[in-house]
Amino acid sequence: MKAAEEEFLDVSSAAAAGVTSVKPWRRGLPEDVVATLIGVVIVAVALAVTWAGRPASDADSREKYPKGWPTPLAATIEKPQTWSDSPAEALVDKRGRSVFRPILLGMGWVVAVAAAGVVLGGRSLGGVMPGSLALAALACAAYGLASHKLIHFYNLEYPLWALSLGILIGNTAGVPRWLAPALAGEFFIKTGLVIFGAEVLFSRLLELGLPGVMTSWLVTPVVLVTTYWFGVHGLGIPSRSLCMVVSADMSVCGVSAAIATAAACRAKKEELSLAIGLSLFFTVLMMVAMPPVIRWLGLDPIVGGAWIGGTIDATGAVVAAGEALGKEAGEVAATVKMIQNSMIGVIAFAVAVYWAGWVEHDAALPRTSLAAEAWRRFPRFILGFLLLSLVCSWLFSLSSATALWVDGTTLGFTSRLRGWLFCTGFVCMGLQTNFRELAPLLASGRPLVLYVCGQLLNLALTLAVASLTFGWLFRKAVEP
Amino acid sequence: MTRLACGMAVVAVVWLGLLPRLMRLPPMAGHIERMEVREVNPAAMYYTELERLPLRPAWIEQRLVLWP
Repeated sequence: MKAAEEEFLDVSSAAAAGVTSVKPWRRGLPEDVVATLIGVVIVAVALAVTWAGRPASDADSREKYPKGWPTPLAATIEKPQTWSDSPAEALVDKRGRSVFRPILLGMGWVVAVAAAGVVLGGRSLGGVMPGSLALAALACAAYGLASHKLIHFYNLEYPLWALSLGILIGNTAGVPRWLAPALAGEFFIKTGLVIFGAEVLFSRLLELGLPGVMTSWLVTPVVLVTTYWFGVHGLGIPSRSLCMVVSADMSVCGVSAAIATAAACRAKKEELSLAIGLSLFFTVLMMVAMPPVIRWLGLDPIVGGAWIGGTIDATGAVVAAGEALGKEAGEVAATVKMIQNSMIGVIAFAVAVYWAGWVEHDAALPRTSLAAEAWRRFPRFILGFLLLSLVCSWLFSLSSATALWVDGTTLGFTSRLRGWLFCTGFVCMGLQTNFRELAPLLASGRPLVLYVCGQLLNLALTLAVASLTFGWLFRKAVEP
Repeated sequence: MTRLACGMAVVAVVWLGLLPRLMRLPPMAGHIERMEVREVNPAAMYYTELERLPLRPAWIEQRLVLWP
């Protein structure tokens, strides 16, 4: 029995012994460079494969290809589908086709990315592969939990279940010794973020013209900076990274912004877990409460849609709440949120620069070395994320056909792979999270106060600007 | 291991027993039906995960000339 117990590592003791954390990348390339290389190569290959299989006719028709050109790679990756009574339903899509094989292949992509990371990082492949297979299976299980219809349609996204599953295993049985070398949560998240860059299209910023830009770009940075400042100086929260992650997920676009900024400011995994939990809880509340409140206030549905788009964290919940007000309100809500989505790249870059140059810098250093020091601390993978964002934005803006090329590649393949990598990263983070370290953060209540105060400011400012732009200044332009 | 087994048992009871019953309560069933009919994916983390891609609405397209 004792021998069996020694096969598992308690989260706290394992972390103290440095066993569950990722082994340093001693002989190979640095982790950021590896994540960037893998991400860029995957997107480049995906674009090439989609181009090779481009339609022979009507290649520029959005009506014919509303989700972009179909990519052959779409058949190689899928996630469990929504289910009601039996998890077996998750293996069949809406059209009644089995998705068992693409789900298995999706797990295969996770293992392949892990293997590429291990090889480029100069580590031994043999010791990591069994753990990578188990992580892919746990990610699939987390997707399965998130795919239950009640969970799915109330916006409790997969990161919550991936983290919870990892925390449950790590804090009860512990982490098996053979799994520990494969726990590369940061690597999976960073690689997923680089690939995510292909979906962050600056070209979409002007979809709603000036009112949309004003509602998103004016309010979001003001709320982000004010909430961060209030957390650090007003509430006296000792961790600046926690303040930043909570502020970003609340003011920009929920979980995806939390992941990007947490990576940019090197937040602890417990802080990211807490920020995601807060965001999902309030997203569900706001998704249910905002449409009746807007009707009760007698707001114009277009203004209400813009208000929803600018305030509810998660993109899917924005569409769900916006549609409750009507078709036009749903369209405005979704597009305002999409404009906010496009800000992730700029915000992650700005946070990384601010962190490297001002928060983490050593005041004792001479001024001449400040830039060099900031560059040394700068998370390099953010550059890969920005590079893909700029290249895909440029391709997207070239012509209707190239826009469909980018959409087909991202919607059909890279966004799915990014989801698998994030899910696996969150399983790793959950396995490495000591619940006892999360408890003081929860017990202090200050992150909750920060979120609520920031969201109240967000609600007030967004309503004011949405009323000004969509309700008054450009009213004629936006009336359906 | 016992604690893990208990945790897994709770997960199984909730997902296989409780959630299927809860989702059939009228408010939840109504919400799910509305979302399915409108092809809305409330669990989308980013716009690329939505069932329908948000495109500039046609009624805005027609009025684009009015935009500053």
